[in-house]
Amino acid sequence: MPNLNTAATAKGASSSVIRFLAGVLMIAPATLVVIGLFLYPFAGSLIGSFRTEAGKWTFTNYAYVIETYYMDLLFTIFICLISLVLVLALASLLAGWLRLKADPFVEFLFKIPLFVPFVVVGHAMRVFLAPHGTLNSLLAATGLFNPDSLPGVAFSTLGLIAALVWKNIGLTLLLVMGAFRGINSSYLEAARNSGAGGFRLIKDMMIPMSWGTISVAGILTFTSMIGNFSIPAMLGDAGGSQMLMIDLYYELIYRQDTGAANALGVISYLASLGAAIYYVKKVAKS
Amino acid sequence: MSAGVELNRPSSPSGGFGGNIGRLAVRLVIYAFSIFVILGPLSSLILWSFAEKWFWPNTLPQEWGLQYWSRVLEGKMAEALTVSFGIALLVTVLCIVLCVPLAYMIARYRIPAKPVLLLIFLLPQAFPQLPVFTNAMELMYRWDLVGTLTGVTLIHLVGALVFSVWTMVSVFQSISVSLEEAAVNLGASRIRTFFTVTLPIAVPGIIASSLLVFLYSLDEFTGSLLIGSPFITTMPVYMYNSAMGYEMQTASVTGLLLMIPGIILLLLMQRFMKSEYMAAFGRG
Repeated sequence: MPNLNTAATAKGASSSVIRFLAGVLMIAPATLVVIGLFLYPFAGSLIGSFRTEAGKWTFTNYAYVIETYYMDLLFTIFICLISLVLVLALASLLAGWLRLKADPFVEFLFKIPLFVPFVVVGHAMRVFLAPHGTLNSLLAATGLFNPDSLPGVAFSTLGLIAALVWKNIGLTLLLVMGAFRGINSSYLEAARNSGAGGFRLIKDMMIPMSWGTISVAGILTFTSMIGNFSIPAMLGDAGGSQMLMIDLYYELIYRQDTGAANALGVISYLASLGAAIYYVKKVAKS
Repeated sequence: MSAGVELNRPSSPSGGFGGNIGRLAVRLVIYAFSIFVILGPLSSLILWSFAEKWFWPNTLPQEWGLQYWSRVLEGKMAEALTVSFGIALLVTVLCIVLCVPLAYMIARYRIPAKPVLLLIFLLPQAFPQLPVFTNAMELMYRWDLVGTLTGVTLIHLVGALVFSVWTMVSVFQSISVSLEEAAVNLGASRIRTFFTVTLPIAVPGIIASSLLVFLYSLDEFTGSLLIGSPFITTMPVYMYNSAMGYEMQTASVTGLLLMIPGIILLLLMQRFMKSEYMAAFGRG
């Protein structure tokens, strides 16, 4: 720890008071904004989830939410887990291939999703995958398919998965590639020389050696998928199960049941605990 | 397959003829797959934005035109564009003013209860925004901030601050302390050292972080939808409204406009992107 403080210790008490005040002035504004508009409302949602409209302590919000939305909860976890597995598999394969054959073009392509806003991803997938979307008209144009029997996936489960995978592939690839690039080439060369092909190198060397990074990437991606509102909002009504955040929005805006909305919020916090633990550990380490 | 090693020599195939064809085939398949997966959905947006008439099952629009693009400059869309860029600019400036000193303090000084401070700025990244922002909305109702520019700016600022503190801390941590110590030893005051030694070295990092903050604010949807409505409509919210009303062309034009700054940024700073900078972008 560098100690620049010592330089001015001799200047007496008044200057140390001034320095203390200056420090507070530098730290306070940003910290207060985050406390006031994130941590305080966060605590508010915890408390609100255990209270009725009249302010009584209760578990009825949870009873109502679990009874009404348990299918949606399972659906959300199911969608996020499938998307997560797909993202991690795709990112690992691509990162492995890029590790062996540097290819700036493919690398650039897969960085694009990082900078495309969530809402735009949702809309693009909707236009691309809708029953009468561009993918189906392209397929119909090949003449191999009957245009009216093609499935439209945009408003269904597959559309959600496609959009979540598409948006998250950029960051996951960046993280996994960082880990793969850190692997010493001599290991890979040794394995190569004893006859391992590209796929074996990825599966039996790169992935096991980077397991730490891959699980962190997995935890962060899973949390972001659970808490994502823009993509399911853009993909609209699936008619059937909904993502948790859509239910929350519905409870708040249309039923104006803040207790139920908060209970759904707390359930989503529980699903995000993995990421929270990761950040706490990160601070503990530094 | 030969046992040739070509880990860092991508363009020097050392295998036999069959191996070359095989490798070329793999590469071509990966190219086709990448282009289809990444550019497929995006090209749909481009097609729609120029389509004046497009009915199923025509493969391509029946009538092309710039009609919807010309609407960018007028009416509601121009308004949303101005609001979005204005807020993003304001958020960026506020972030620089608030975060540069804070990040410098975190990077260099012993602060009481530092782990608590670090957690305050890290934990918001871990939890979903929507349930928190719905409660922030209730607070803002009390202060009459819902539907105002101030309200939307504040809700963008929360996410932006969390993001920019971390990027700027890592910028300052990467600058060697010995440079500052040298200046202090030669008699410069701490403030002078900061402005003449540290800050100039940190400027590229601060610019990179600010560009990402700008982009975050421009793309922010959840907070804008909750706090902005009904009076303040940012670009993402405008796009959401037009897509929900099945105005495909308007939504596609807005979507493309929202993508342009990001793509420019990607081209500019491809090589400087670090994964820790980007972690906050996996949110929405």
